[in-house]
Amino acid sequence: MKNFSKWLVLGLCLVLLGTLVIPAFAQDEGLGAGEGGIIITGNTGDDPATFNPLLANDSASFDIVQWLAPAIFTINPQTGESEPNIAGGLAESWSYDETGTVLTINLRQDLAWNDGTPITAADYLYSVDAIRSGQIENSYASAFETMADGTPAGGKIVSVEAPDPYTVVVTFSEADCVAFESVNDIAIVPSHVYQELYGTDYASMMDDPRSIPTVSFGPFKDIEFAPAQRVSLIADQSYPDTVLGYVSPEEWVYLSVPDENVETERFIAGEISILAVPSTRQNDFRTDPALADFQKYEFTGNGFTFFAMNTADPNNPQPGLDEQGNLIPQTPHPVLGDVLVRRAITQAVDMDAIIEGIRDGNGLKVATHTIPTSWVYNPDLQYKFDVEAAKALLDEAGWVDDDNDPATPRVCQNCLYAREVDPSFEGSPLELRLRVPEGGEIASQMGEFFKASLDEIGFSTDFQAIDWGSAFLPELTGQTFDMALLSWSLGLPVDPDVTDFYTPAVDVPGAGFNFTSFYNEELNQILAEARVVPGCDPEARKELYLRAQEILFNEAPYYYMYVSQSMTAVQPNLQNWNPTPYSRIWDTDAWVLLDQPQ
Amino acid sequence: MNKFIIRRLIQAIPTFFGITILSYFIIAAAPGDPVSILTFNPKMSMEERQQLAARLGVNDPIYIQYLRWLVGDDWMRWDTNGDGLADRAILIPLDADSDGEPDPPGERRGILRGDFGRSFVYRDNPLKLIGERLPATIELNIATLLVSIPLGLTIGILAAIWRGRSFDQSARILAVVGDSVPSFLMAFGLIMIFGAPTLNLLPMGGQCAPVRGGCPPIYQRLEYLVLPTIALSLGGIAGWSRFMRAAMLDTITSDYVRTAKAKGLNDRIVWFRHSARNALIPMATFLGPTFVSLLGGATIIETIFSWPGVGRLLTQSVTAQDYPVIMASVVIGSVLTIVGFLISDILYAVFDPRIRL
Repeated sequence: MKNFSKWLVLGLCLVLLGTLVIPAFAQDEGLGAGEGGIIITGNTGDDPATFNPLLANDSASFDIVQWLAPAIFTINPQTGESEPNIAGGLAESWSYDETGTVLTINLRQDLAWNDGTPITAADYLYSVDAIRSGQIENSYASAFETMADGTPAGGKIVSVEAPDPYTVVVTFSEADCVAFESVNDIAIVPSHVYQELYGTDYASMMDDPRSIPTVSFGPFKDIEFAPAQRVSLIADQSYPDTVLGYVSPEEWVYLSVPDENVETERFIAGEISILAVPSTRQNDFRTDPALADFQKYEFTGNGFTFFAMNTADPNNPQPGLDEQGNLIPQTPHPVLGDVLVRRAITQAVDMDAIIEGIRDGNGLKVATHTIPTSWVYNPDLQYKFDVEAAKALLDEAGWVDDDNDPATPRVCQNCLYAREVDPSFEGSPLELRLRVPEGGEIASQMGEFFKASLDEIGFSTDFQAIDWGSAFLPELTGQTFDMALLSWSLGLPVDPDVTDFYTPAVDVPGAGFNFTSFYNEELNQILAEARVVPGCDPEARKELYLRAQEILFNEAPYYYMYVSQSMTAVQPNLQNWNPTPYSRIWDTDAWVLLDQPQ
Repeated sequence: MNKFIIRRLIQAIPTFFGITILSYFIIAAAPGDPVSILTFNPKMSMEERQQLAARLGVNDPIYIQYLRWLVGDDWMRWDTNGDGLADRAILIPLDADSDGEPDPPGERRGILRGDFGRSFVYRDNPLKLIGERLPATIELNIATLLVSIPLGLTIGILAAIWRGRSFDQSARILAVVGDSVPSFLMAFGLIMIFGAPTLNLLPMGGQCAPVRGGCPPIYQRLEYLVLPTIALSLGGIAGWSRFMRAAMLDTITSDYVRTAKAKGLNDRIVWFRHSARNALIPMATFLGPTFVSLLGGATIIETIFSWPGVGRLLTQSVTAQDYPVIMASVVIGSVLTIVGFLISDILYAVFDPRIRL
C-alpha cells in the first residue's frame, strides 16, 4: 500500500509536470495576440498624401494602405508570382475563356471587413466605377479608364461585372497576357461604407484625402496620424490571414525620419525595428563587429539603373506616331543616333569598377531591360569592357582622332549624321551632355566616372548634376537630353513586357516613356506577339523575350548598368522574421520584439 | 503715430500684390511642370495627364493662373442651364482637357475670398498643411530665441566690458565658429555625441516619443528640444553677441557715459544702466524680422532632427512645384514681414523718445 501511494504521488507529479512542460514545446513562436511589441519602421520620404486606398499614388500612402485593404490578387512571397489563396488576397481561383478575353475570378467567401460585413464582388465593382467616373485622380489605374465615348483610354479592360457576390468577370478588348496584372491596379474598399459617405459623388473623396478609414481589412487598423511625425496603426485581431492565428505586434508605427543617415543611426540605437540599409552602409553591416548582432537579409533588387541614350535629335523632338497612327521618321541624334557609337559607349565604361568602387560591391551587372530575378533573364548577355574595341567602333562610325591629341575630342569624318542628315556636320567634335539628378552622391560619382571614361576614348563630355523637377525631368521627358541617368523599379510580379518603354506609341515628347525615341520593327512585333501567345504559354513567351533582350543588347537604347544588391536589417531581438527576395514584411503579423527597447 | 501706422498699412497693399505677382510669375515660369513630377509613371496615359493638367490649370497662361489664384475661376467658366457642365467661359476654354466635352464650372474663389486652393501633392488646403506644422516651428524658434538672444546679448555686453581680454577673444572665436560651421554638420555632431551612439543622454530626433495619443505638454518632453535648439542657436548667439558688443563700444565714447563716470558712478551702473540700455535701442530694428523668423522653418535642422516643422513642407513644395503651398507661404511670409517691420519702426520710436513717427 505504501509503495502504491508512492507511485501514485510520483505519477501525479509527472502529470503535473507534463501539463507545464508539454505546452511549452507545443507553444507557437509568439507571445500572444498583441503581445509582440511595437514595430517601428522609418519613412525617409514625405507624409502619406492619403489614407484612401482609391486615391493612393505615392509610396508613403501605399505603405499605409497596404495594411487596410485587400487586393484581388496577392503575390506569393516565396515565388514572387500572383497566386490564389494567398494571405490578403481575395481570389480563390481564376480562369480565362477559350478566347482569352474573358477572365473569371472566383473570390474567397470567408473574408469580411473588420466590421463583419463580407467582402464581395460589389466592393471591387465600386472601385471600378469610381475610377471609371474620371472624378478621382489615380495614376495607376489606366487599365480601367475610359474615354467619353466608352472606349478604353489606357489599357484593355472593356467591362467588369459581378454575376454573383463572389464572382468577378473582366472582359478585355483583346487577349493580352500582360493585362492580367492590371486587374490588380485598383484598391478594394468597403463599398457599404463608401456608398454611405460618398455615393456616386466620387470627387468628394478628394475633399478630405486624409480622412481616417473606419472599416478596413488587414493586420492593422485605426490610423493615428501626426503630420511630419508618424502614422500609427494598432493590431486588428479580426484579420483572418495571420501566420500564427493572431496578430502578434501591438502596434505598427511609420516614423518620419527624413535623413537616411540619421535613420540608420537610430536603427543602430534600437529606435527603429527594420531598416532598408543604404548601399553606403551595407559593408559596415557585413564587417563591423559592433553591428554583427543585427539580423540581415541580402537580396537582389527588382529594379535597375541605366543611362538612357537619346537616339533622336534633341533639338527637334518628334512623337513616334502621327494622329493617324503612322510612324513619324525621327531625325537621328547627331552622335547617339548611330548604334556603333552606342555600342562603343557600352564597352568604354568599366562597370565592375563602378560597382566595386562607387557602390562598395553592392550591385550585379545587367545588359538588358531584364533583371536576374526575371523568369526570362539571359545571363549570357553581358557588356565587355574593352577600351580599344570601343575606339575601333568609333573609328568605324566615322568619329576619328584626326590630330592624335588625347586632349581634344574626335571629329566627324563621314559619320552617320553627316552622311544622312547634314553634310555640313562634317568635322564637328564628338560632344555629349551627361545628366544625372542632383542630390545623390553616388549618382554624381557615377557621372564623373562616365565622363572620364568617355573622354578617354575621344568624347568631349559635359557632365552636370541638375535639379530633378525643374531641369532633369523636363529634359528627359521633353527628349532634349543626350544621356541621362535613371533607375526603374519593376514591381512584382516582374513582367518582361517592355512595351511601355520602347515602342513608337509611347514616344511622346512631354509625356511618353520612350524618351530615347527608340524604334525597332522586329522588337515591336515580338512584344506584340508575346502579349497574345495562346494560353500565355510561358515557354513560348520566353523564347520571344529572349530575342527581345538580344535586340535591346545589340541596339543599346540604354546603357544598362546594374541591379542593386539590397540589404534589410532588423533588430537582434525581433523574432519570426522570415524574409524572401520578394518581400521582407510579408509576415509582419507574426513578429515579436522581445524586451522592447525604451 | 496712428497716421504713421495707417499710412504704412496703405502702402503695404501694393507691396503685397507686387510680391505675389512677382512670386507667382517666377514660380510658374520656372522650368519643369508639376504634372510631370506628379505623374512620372509609365502606367499613366496621355489623356489622364491632360485631364490632370486641366484640373490643376497649369497649362493656362501664367496671368490666368495668377488671376485664378487671386480671385478664383468660378466667374471664368460657369453653368447657366444647370446640367453640371459649363456652357459659358471667358479667358479660359470650355473644354480645357480636350476630351470633347465641356468641363465642369470653375469652383475656385481665390485667396481674396479665402480660398487658397488645394495642394497639388497632398490635395489638401495649403493653410491646413502649413497650420499642422506651424506649432512645432514656433516652438523650436521660440526656444531658439529664448536661448540665443539673452545669451548673445550677455556675451556681447561682457565682451565689450572686458574688451581685449581673453573673454572677448573667446567670444570672437565663438562667433566665427557659430557663423562658419554648417548647421547640418553641427546637427550631426550633436546627435553623434549626445545621442545613443556615444553618451546616450538625449533623443536623436522627433518632437516626442513615437507613442499613440500625441505628444505630451512641452514641459514633459524638453529633452527633445535641446539638441535642435543648440544647433539653431549658435548662429544667433554669434550674431547677437557681435552686434551687442559693437553697439556697446559705440556708447562708451558718448558724452553721457563720460558724464556718468565723472559723477563717480560705479562701473556696473555705468555699463548696465546707461550704456547697455542705450545700446539695446538699435536692437529694436531686429525685432521685426525676428518676429517673422518665428514662423520660418529651418529645413536642414528639421530634416536631421526629424522635427515636424514647416521648413520641410516648403522645401518639398518647391521641389514638387506645388504652386498652392508655395504661394500660401508667400502670402503668410509677406504679411508677417510687412507687419514685422512696422512693429520694428514703432518699437524704435517707443524706445527712443527722440524718434518721431
